[in-house]
Amino acid sequence: MENVDMFNAATATLTFHDFLDRMRHPQAVDLVKSIKSFIVEFMSRTPDPDKDSESVQSFLTTTEGAFGAHPLFVNATDEELDSAGEGLEKYLMTKLFSRAFAPVSEEKEHDKKLSEKMAILQQFIRPEHLDIPPKFDESSLLFAQKELLKINTYKAPRDKLVCILNCCRVINNLLLNVSIGSKDNPPGADDFLPVLIYVVIKANPPQLNSNLLYINRYRHHSRLVSEAAYFYTNIVSAEHFIDNLEATSLSMDSSEFEKQMQSAIALLDANLSAQPSVTAKHSSVSEDNTLKSAEHDSPSASTQSVIKLEPGLTVHKEDQVESPVLPADSIASAVSAESVPPGSKASGSSDKDTMTVAKLEALGLPDVLEADKTGQLARDYPYLYASAGDLKVMDVEGLLADYKEIVLKYAALYKAVQGMGSATGNRRTSSPLLDISESSGILQTAAEFQNTKESASPDEKFVLGEDKAPAREEPSEVKTDGGVQDLFEGLNLLNNPTDRPHSPSLEHVTVQGHSPDHSTRETAGGQCEEVEPNYDVAATDVGASDITKH
Amino acid sequence: MGCSSSSPAAVKGSGRLQTTSQPDVLDSKNLRIKLVLLGDSGVGKSCILLRFVRGQFDPSSKVTVGASFLSQTINLQDSTIKFEIWDTAGQERYSSLAPLYYRGASAAVVVYDITNPETFLKAQFWVKELQKHGNPDIVMALVGNKADLESEREVSREEALAYAESNGMFFIETSAKTADNVNQLFEEIAKRLPRGQSSLSRN
Repeated sequence: MENVDMFNAATATLTFHDFLDRMRHPQAVDLVKSIKSFIVEFMSRTPDPDKDSESVQSFLTTTEGAFGAHPLFVNATDEELDSAGEGLEKYLMTKLFSRAFAPVSEEKEHDKKLSEKMAILQQFIRPEHLDIPPKFDESSLLFAQKELLKINTYKAPRDKLVCILNCCRVINNLLLNVSIGSKDNPPGADDFLPVLIYVVIKANPPQLNSNLLYINRYRHHSRLVSEAAYFYTNIVSAEHFIDNLEATSLSMDSSEFEKQMQSAIALLDANLSAQPSVTAKHSSVSEDNTLKSAEHDSPSASTQSVIKLEPGLTVHKEDQVESPVLPADSIASAVSAESVPPGSKASGSSDKDTMTVAKLEALGLPDVLEADKTGQLARDYPYLYASAGDLKVMDVEGLLADYKEIVLKYAALYKAVQGMGSATGNRRTSSPLLDISESSGILQTAAEFQNTKESASPDEKFVLGEDKAPAREEPSEVKTDGGVQDLFEGLNLLNNPTDRPHSPSLEHVTVQGHSPDHSTRETAGGQCEEVEPNYDVAATDVGASDITKH
Repeated sequence: MGCSSSSPAAVKGSGRLQTTSQPDVLDSKNLRIKLVLLGDSGVGKSCILLRFVRGQFDPSSKVTVGASFLSQTINLQDSTIKFEIWDTAGQERYSSLAPLYYRGASAAVVVYDITNPETFLKAQFWVKELQKHGNPDIVMALVGNKADLESEREVSREEALAYAESNGMFFIETSAKTADNVNQLFEEIAKRLPRGQSSLSRN
């Protein structure tokens, strides 16, 4: 049961579909029944993290044990049984997510504090404060941050873990490249951990603590072992370090540290009070973000929840919308999303007024100028002030990828804002449609389609938070999605880790195989995306009738 | 000061060491061991690790995320032992994080640099900490690395040996640069592991 294989994107997708496939089989009736009743029982209990974790862990153990003895799995290889276990875990935790993730207020509070601290630290922390050697090309760390920021796109513990592993992988490859070019020791933990800490601070992934707790509680313990356990431990370490970080933790004069802290706090406060309207709009963006990311992954499973588990889904939605802990009210969300182009900041603002892109840009401009003055802009976008002579050949790939991403995101945003400005009413028309499909099970296909489109391009969530944006339902926007997908397909093309284990190419570094399912979906192209959901709906239907029959 | 790159031909050591490409299936004779590497930064932890693992580098190995976690399987008499080696950051500012890493470890290798007495003091700190907070059955080894730099030696073999013996540890001096004693280190640990304990075996 080597975990490495399981993180292969292609395997993972097959795994999950294979699981759903088996559960659709008439012989699976008893299993489906027991899974469903566990879900119902769990969702109705009052949250108690330790007990919840224990009960899920033991349910997974028991059910996976039952797989082995079940007629459905007769002749199944160990590998297939392991796959079924993975599938079960993903299915179960996708269903339980709303209740299992960040279940108690202390944990939400912890997330908020941590995120605020990172928002402050990231204003001034430099690699040398953690004794990271200067030979590091800092901009390449943006790739690692990007991987980590995907963590809230997924619900299944495994998928979240994969985001962490991908982040670590990018860092390790960068370290390796640096060490190959020099005579230094090969990179070990002495080199790795500081960079990881730096990346975490710079990325400031929302709800980091909750994500880590969630993985530990709900990733089956037999699968949180070996390499996955090691890198999980590293990010937990990074979190501890940041949580307890004080002046003496850094290679920095303590009075200088205090000064920097104060001015960073002042700066953040100033930003908040100078731009109250924009701030409010940040909130709405973030809220949408979270709402979307929560609903967003595993189209198959979430579709099932749309249709099948109405109570669960309803609770979940309200939860997400109302929840005060969302990064919405954390300063961090304003600063954290490194890759958000300036103009996009207020993209959620059209709730009230008719917005044009120009207006929005004007709104964001003071922020950008301020960021420019403080040097933040140059830190976030290292090439902003570069001249052609500064560039190295190895920068080209990264730059080009960034450029394409920004163009596509901007184009998508532009269209979305246009759409909102001209027809705010669209939002209204779209929601009832969804409501109907959720409550009655009619119009499944429409809801399905919507879900699929959302899930198809996970990276977009950082910019296009508005999952209700009418534009997303229009064909032209679907095209835009496709464009972004194509881009990511390009980025993800070289996703077989065994082919070239230590490629120095950054492009390769970014992807290297351990991508959660979505990459496969993207690679498969548009056609596949329309096929898959139907497939899952079929699975759902059978599962549903099974449940109702019994 | 980097450790020289290893190629299979250059590696000394016993022929008993083998990499197996199928470590997945474990039975009662096949152990999977979590081994944690502790020691000041710069003492050569990562070199020892790479020497041990890449000395018999198996290109089909699937271990890929990074070089701070590596695994290597050795055959010892009639059993196989898969070491999963957890490297730790040795800088002082990360000391308080070490318990997260050595929790549940069956073996610990505490490394110092024979040319640097401060790293030997730091090693003693780790030994004490492991005695206090580590797994009570943990197999510990004290390793003086950079034995190839005899002319710059500042920690005597006798002193280190005496310290190790008084703490029930296995002691060895290694050179990750020449690969001296690296395999012996891990074989000796393998021999000392208590057998038939559930904490060591997966199944």
